[in-house]
Amino acid sequence: MTIPTFILKNALRNKRRATLSVLSVAVSLFLLVLLLVALREITLPVEGAGAELRVAVRNKISIANLLPAKQLPIIEKIPGVEAVTPFTWFGGKYKGEQGMTFAQFALDPKKLRAVFTEAKMAPESYAAFEAERDACIIGKITADKYKLKLGDKITLESTVYPVTMEFKIVGIYAGTPDDRNMLFRQDYLDESSGLKGQVGMWWLKVKSAQDMPKVISAINNAFANTSAEVRAESERAFQLSFISMWGNIKLLVMLICSAVIFTLLLVSASTMSMAIRERFRELAILKAIGFRRRELFAFILAESFGLAAAGAVIGVGGAYLLFTYGNVAKMTNGMFPSFEVTSRIVGTGALVAAVLGIVASIMPSIAVAKMSVTDGLKTLD
Amino acid sequence: MAPNGNIVSIRNLSKIYAQGEIQVTALDNISLDIVAGEFLTLMGPSGSGKSTLLHILAGIDRPTSGECHVQGVDVTKLNESQLADWRNQNVGFVFQTFNLLPVLTAFENVELPLLLTRLSRGQRRKQVETALELVGLADRMRHLPKQLSGGQEQRVAIARALVTDPKLIVADEPTGNLDSHSAQEVLSVLQSLSKQAGKTVIMVTHDPKAAAFGSRTIHLEKGELLK
Repeated sequence: MTIPTFILKNALRNKRRATLSVLSVAVSLFLLVLLLVALREITLPVEGAGAELRVAVRNKISIANLLPAKQLPIIEKIPGVEAVTPFTWFGGKYKGEQGMTFAQFALDPKKLRAVFTEAKMAPESYAAFEAERDACIIGKITADKYKLKLGDKITLESTVYPVTMEFKIVGIYAGTPDDRNMLFRQDYLDESSGLKGQVGMWWLKVKSAQDMPKVISAINNAFANTSAEVRAESERAFQLSFISMWGNIKLLVMLICSAVIFTLLLVSASTMSMAIRERFRELAILKAIGFRRRELFAFILAESFGLAAAGAVIGVGGAYLLFTYGNVAKMTNGMFPSFEVTSRIVGTGALVAAVLGIVASIMPSIAVAKMSVTDGLKTLD
Repeated sequence: MAPNGNIVSIRNLSKIYAQGEIQVTALDNISLDIVAGEFLTLMGPSGSGKSTLLHILAGIDRPTSGECHVQGVDVTKLNESQLADWRNQNVGFVFQTFNLLPVLTAFENVELPLLLTRLSRGQRRKQVETALELVGLADRMRHLPKQLSGGQEQRVAIARALVTDPKLIVADEPTGNLDSHSAQEVLSVLQSLSKQAGKTVIMVTHDPKAAAFGSRTIHLEKGELLK
């Protein structure tokens, strides 16, 4: 027998308790990783070839308010602007589904490549999109989900406009941060809805990062004191403004994480204390045999740490494997196209487990330190 | 060891417990010599201080005053860490309730004290097997305590006490939880350790029949040695 074997045998003496302890750590750490990854995904800056050069322009009062199409030539003339497209939310329901599982937007097909440079699809699809009136392109995630292919026709009933429209799929794109959306032509929407001259918002590309602040300022000023004042902001700021509508999501997630960790700490400390309390007499025997306090501390710490580590391997490791190799987009119904468990998050989970293992061993170690051999020998089972 | 062959020399030993405002004298000015190789039995009524005396000379309790020399070492002067090392090398313990670790086999229980030494795995194995053979349990090495009878458990405890080859074996009511047959077995082992192996055995007991196995019996009452 070696010391590690001795520690392992003690840790597993009550297999049910050890299993439940490990599982409680595992489930809690799995939840912690889940929350941290979700928070990261929600607040992650948009990445892509053009994200840092894109500007969103929406109605200053509310994003639900439309903007006049006549703003287009004014924006196009602003120095630093490379390309502008309308971007109008359609809000269509597909196949009578209750909720919307993919968003649909109307835009200028000729400006697609210029503004959304990261979207990739076959060249003939771009051509068809520009040529055919009822053409649409679909993100790969949605195409795979509904098994849609080129040439298929889909019908959407709008919840925003009093219209049901039929579209023909001419392209399937990928490579954007959100490959779920459907894009179709603004002029087709104008014709079908009869609401020509109104757009949802503008998306534009600036020529360089240096141009962005000037362009944003120029756009805001251009329509100040008009009936359709605008808010122009970078794509990142636009994204964050959406998130802030949910409240302080970061604070909420952090509070939940803290509650999870605190509860886990209490449960683990209590379990360890109980496990050691049952062994006071045995620990007194070990002291009598010649084991010193520091050796007993090491046994307790190793056992506590081992249980926490086992929980971390299952919980954090399980989360990593599930979210890395599982189809998260399918699991979350497309809400999270990606769900990356970064090494930093894995490290956070491991650190929590390590701290847990150490803290849970403190009280039992203090109790053992205070216990004299004679008192320990008198302890009843 | 003292030049006169005494393995233990106790002088003016007292132990007083403070229980709130009340002070309880467990041992009152005890002086005692124990010769090497003796099988000494300590007898007395409950609360007479027998176990307290045993614990002090075994180094698991400290006196309030006085001296206690064991093999030439004043154990009252050692710090906790030194005392732990000293116990490991010099004293073997046998308790009333066997106190084997239930998750370890007989072999592993006996091996426990050797984990603190620098012996190799092979050397440890050899010593453990020797100790178990000495108590007649070589064929029960892989058994867990719950698979042993009371007498066998106590013999494993004796083997554990012997495995570091200490000069001193202390036994606190070792037959208290055993039937007469098992008690006989255990006492015979202790007696042979004293007579044949030259160990000094100090045993606390209530039982005059058990005390008869010893080479000398001393009586305590209310913390004092009776002449």
